[in-house]
Amino acid sequence: MNNAPASPPVGAAASVESRWASPEMRARIRRRYGAERRFKAVGLIAVLMSVGFLAFLLGTMAWSGLSGFSQTRVALPVDFRGSGLSIDASSMTKAEAMAALNQQGLGDLLQLSATSAYGAQGESYFGTAAKESAAAAIYDDPSMLQRQVELALPATSPIDVAAKGEGDAASEAAVARLEAAGKLSSGLDTTFLSSADATDPTVAGIWGALKGSLLTMLVTLALAFPVGVLAAVYLEEYAPKNRLTDIIEVSINNLAAVPSIIFGLLALALFINAFGLCQGSPLVGGLTLALMTMPVIVIAGRNAIKAVPPSIRDAALGVGASRVQVVFHHVLPLALPGILTGTIIGMARALGETAPLLLVGMRAFVGGTPDGLCSSATVLPMQIFLWSDEVDRGFVENTSTAIIVLLIVLLSMNAAAIILRNRFEKRW
Amino acid sequence: MTTEPNTAPKMTARGVNVFYGDKQAIDDVSIDVYRDHVTAFIGPSGCGKSTFLRTLNRMNDTVAGARVTGDIRLDGEDIYAPEMDVVQLRARVGMVFQKPNPFPKSIFDNVAYGPKIHGLATSKSELEGIVESALTRAGLWGEVKDRLQDSGTALSGGQQQRLCIARAIAVDPETVLMDEPCSALDPIATAKIEELIHELRGRYAIVIVTHNMQQAARVSQRTAFFHLGKIVEYGATTDIFTNPREERTKDYITGRYG
Amino acid sequence: MSGLAIVLMLFGLGLIAWLSGRARAAQLERVTPAAAVRPHSRPQYHGWYVALWTILPALAFLSVWSALSPGLAVQAVLADPAAASLPDNEFVRSAIIGEARQLATGQIAQGFNPQSAALVEPFRTAISRYSTIGVVIALILAFAGAAWSFTRLKRDFRARTRVERVVMLLLLAASLVAILTTFGIVFSLLFESIRFFDRVPVTDFLFGTHWSPVSGNEDPDLFGAIPLFWGTILIGAVIAMIVAIPLGLMTAIYLTQYAPARVRSWLKPTIEVLAGVPTVVYGFFAALTVGPALRSLADALGIAGASSDSALAAGLVMGIMIIPLVSSMADDSIAAVPSAMRDGSLALGATPSETIRKVLIPAALPGVMGGVLLAVSRAVGETMIVVMAAGQSANLTGNPFSSVTTVTVQIVKLMTGDQEFESAKTLAAFALGLVLFIVTLMLNIVALRIVKRFRESYE
Repeated sequence: MNNAPASPPVGAAASVESRWASPEMRARIRRRYGAERRFKAVGLIAVLMSVGFLAFLLGTMAWSGLSGFSQTRVALPVDFRGSGLSIDASSMTKAEAMAALNQQGLGDLLQLSATSAYGAQGESYFGTAAKESAAAAIYDDPSMLQRQVELALPATSPIDVAAKGEGDAASEAAVARLEAAGKLSSGLDTTFLSSADATDPTVAGIWGALKGSLLTMLVTLALAFPVGVLAAVYLEEYAPKNRLTDIIEVSINNLAAVPSIIFGLLALALFINAFGLCQGSPLVGGLTLALMTMPVIVIAGRNAIKAVPPSIRDAALGVGASRVQVVFHHVLPLALPGILTGTIIGMARALGETAPLLLVGMRAFVGGTPDGLCSSATVLPMQIFLWSDEVDRGFVENTSTAIIVLLIVLLSMNAAAIILRNRFEKRW
Repeated sequence: MTTEPNTAPKMTARGVNVFYGDKQAIDDVSIDVYRDHVTAFIGPSGCGKSTFLRTLNRMNDTVAGARVTGDIRLDGEDIYAPEMDVVQLRARVGMVFQKPNPFPKSIFDNVAYGPKIHGLATSKSELEGIVESALTRAGLWGEVKDRLQDSGTALSGGQQQRLCIARAIAVDPETVLMDEPCSALDPIATAKIEELIHELRGRYAIVIVTHNMQQAARVSQRTAFFHLGKIVEYGATTDIFTNPREERTKDYITGRYG
Repeated sequence: MSGLAIVLMLFGLGLIAWLSGRARAAQLERVTPAAAVRPHSRPQYHGWYVALWTILPALAFLSVWSALSPGLAVQAVLADPAAASLPDNEFVRSAIIGEARQLATGQIAQGFNPQSAALVEPFRTAISRYSTIGVVIALILAFAGAAWSFTRLKRDFRARTRVERVVMLLLLAASLVAILTTFGIVFSLLFESIRFFDRVPVTDFLFGTHWSPVSGNEDPDLFGAIPLFWGTILIGAVIAMIVAIPLGLMTAIYLTQYAPARVRSWLKPTIEVLAGVPTVVYGFFAALTVGPALRSLADALGIAGASSDSALAAGLVMGIMIIPLVSSMADDSIAAVPSAMRDGSLALGATPSETIRKVLIPAALPGVMGGVLLAVSRAVGETMIVVMAAGQSANLTGNPFSSVTTVTVQIVKLMTGDQEFESAKTLAAFALGLVLFIVTLMLNIVALRIVKRFRESYE
């Protein structure tokens, strides 16, 4: 308040004025502003907690997963002279060469070299991944079979985990020794993105699951998008007001909220038991997810179509277009960005979905990449689920790394949806 | 009817400008408002009369991008001074809106809301006394005294608006601002509100925005004619309507534009 | 010939039909003098007309045929002398036949039943015979359709009207998929559940307190689902909501009422990312990080019966997942309250928080309640978090640190692993699914109705 009131309070105003100036009232106002500040602070805390959870979640995954992109390598001196290994690099493919080397006892040679270099426990440093890596190196440079070389080979899971700071005591000690001897190095784990699931965490990769996801999403998109868009067009543009239309609307709104696992039960009873479609395949998985995604696309599509102003339809009808032409020439192109946004969001949800696929047999161990719509496959979230059940520490790291890949894919899909919406959103 | 006030003005405005972003809505407005007078703001729609009214209890603060310059005083206190408490100010300068906006609560709770948040009653019986006297002064007590627990939104439009007036005067304000309070009402309800304004005069300084010139002539003692964000003419209502000084005022009140 | 190749070939024929129909119409248009009235339909509609007649009948036949031909093939195989030695037992018989089919189509390389090997050859012939018949008839239909429709093309032929009629039918058919799905869900759940309730009485299932299904045992006492319902409620409707309601509501309040527009435009999508994270990630997070942490907390506090598969871990993480749902519903509800309410309260000298607490929230309450019901429905049906973090043992306990199980966990558990479709154990999953479906449906219907009525009250 002003230090010096300009004029003395007049008449009845004096009592009112003094009421607000009384000490009790001032204290009350202070209390009310205190409550205001506290309430606002509680709101801010709620927001910060929500954001904090997100940051913690992503941070945890990044922390334990990023190391999965690198692999620990141990230097191993190998003397190929007199080993009897030989390949014909010019006529053999890489796979043939690697198979031939295996046949000729590359693995035994490596174990022998390991024991001679690091003593009895050296055997436990190198596994399948080392063998494959060595075979690939030989294929790239066959001349090394004629001399003694030192190869930096991927270590087994216990050593790898210990080198990243989470292993058991014995492996930690081995790592410390190797470290001191300068035999440890690390490099980019190229197998993780290019190989399929395996029982050995250092060899297991996500390419099989990624390809499975891709095929599944292809089926989902091919079914859910056309059906969803056509249904949206029908309901928004042509459907007469009758009972059938009401039932369709109620069905779609409810399907959008049905728990995903129910779709799994439906798919199991319908696609597998009744139709006998191939169990655990991208075809069945894609069909299941298509049933789930379709309502999302219908709802997004209807909103996008609804947003196209009636004046556009009137204008087209006015120049003699038929009702079908109005929709397919004018309304749909204008609504397309909105429909695509909804589709991307629906597809992102389908891509992250696991529960219904558990029931249609996509949880089997699949040690190769699926090569068709009807072959056994797994998907990325399912791979995460399967790995999360493994006890080996190496799989924990793999799980987190796979989660990073999945999150990157999903977040970029969502970002694409947001960009699409912002760029093409028209205000009529 | 007194034409010239003989007391000090309740509120004074000097050189007030209001901007919404880059757009200027009010241009250099100065005016005095007196306690024992009803002051009417008239003018064509979009002339800024409602905008100016909302500066008098700082309701413009709630509009993003609104900016007020100039000097507005309530009993000599600068209401835009940093030390002025806006919560207290709004309790002292009440407001009634164009569309009746009772809260979705009971009639009693609607009126008791202000006294409760400001702590004006120390006991339940005192609160009931405040509610009763506010409803009585708003001319609504007889109609609602048997159904105080009914929802305020269940009343008719005119009753809702009187409920809003009761709600405003329950905190015993010094000034009541009314923003076209009858524009959403039928003629009978309008007549009741106008009657109410007559009865409230003298107890509160009343400022009423209206687009209805007959209403301004009926209820007010002083009238300001707004046009394009400026006050064209301000004086005793009888003078404005019988003997306007400005050509534009004359054109407007004779219905040549607006 | 594989199915995909046939369909592709049909579409190839359709393309040719489209091109020739269009060319024919264009030619018809040219012969008549330019002064005449323009034809009803543009040439491409004539093309579409011919193409549709080429593709649709053949496609319709193929889909019927693909459903019929396996049965026909089996009949042919059974008529084969090699099938005479098959055992009479229906179950063994169908197992052998199924295996022979898989061998014949190359899905498996080695049969389990030696008898199936003998049937492979007859099966192969039967399958290839019927698929050849199907392809030939489909081709005949395609050419017949094309020829017939092509002869109908005239200058004044109203091709567009006919094509558009087909388009409308297509649109209607697409919309019916939703109904079919709903009916599919209801019927498959009901059908299997009824078979389950033949073996286990409904009352034993709904009100029994002991749950431990074992393969081959159909004792109704083992199928009491109360512990599952309790676990579901404890995790989804209690713990998750204790986290999600206050955080979601306060987040919505802060973002709509206090945050500057710029901050809001960043924070809102950021918080919505929480809803976009796949549930399997939350499950992993709950199982790996939250569960063990809560367990050590419980041990430190001296709470007995703590498990790292605790209800609390699953519920907390689920609550975090639900925050954006509650917050966006609350956001919408608060935004739907007319700003006149807010102004009315502020004009009386209420502070913003008083306005929010005493006017906006009470006015928005029905909408917020609707949102909470939707959130509960979502939490109750959530699967992966509880599968990974909530445990498997059916305990009837109020201790949030101990392990409980939920309806969805048990559905997954019953349906995976060694399963035979006919056992009470697998059928129980459908009964649980039916309960889950009904409950979530009710919650959704009630919630949507509340929200709708609330919106209307301010329109």
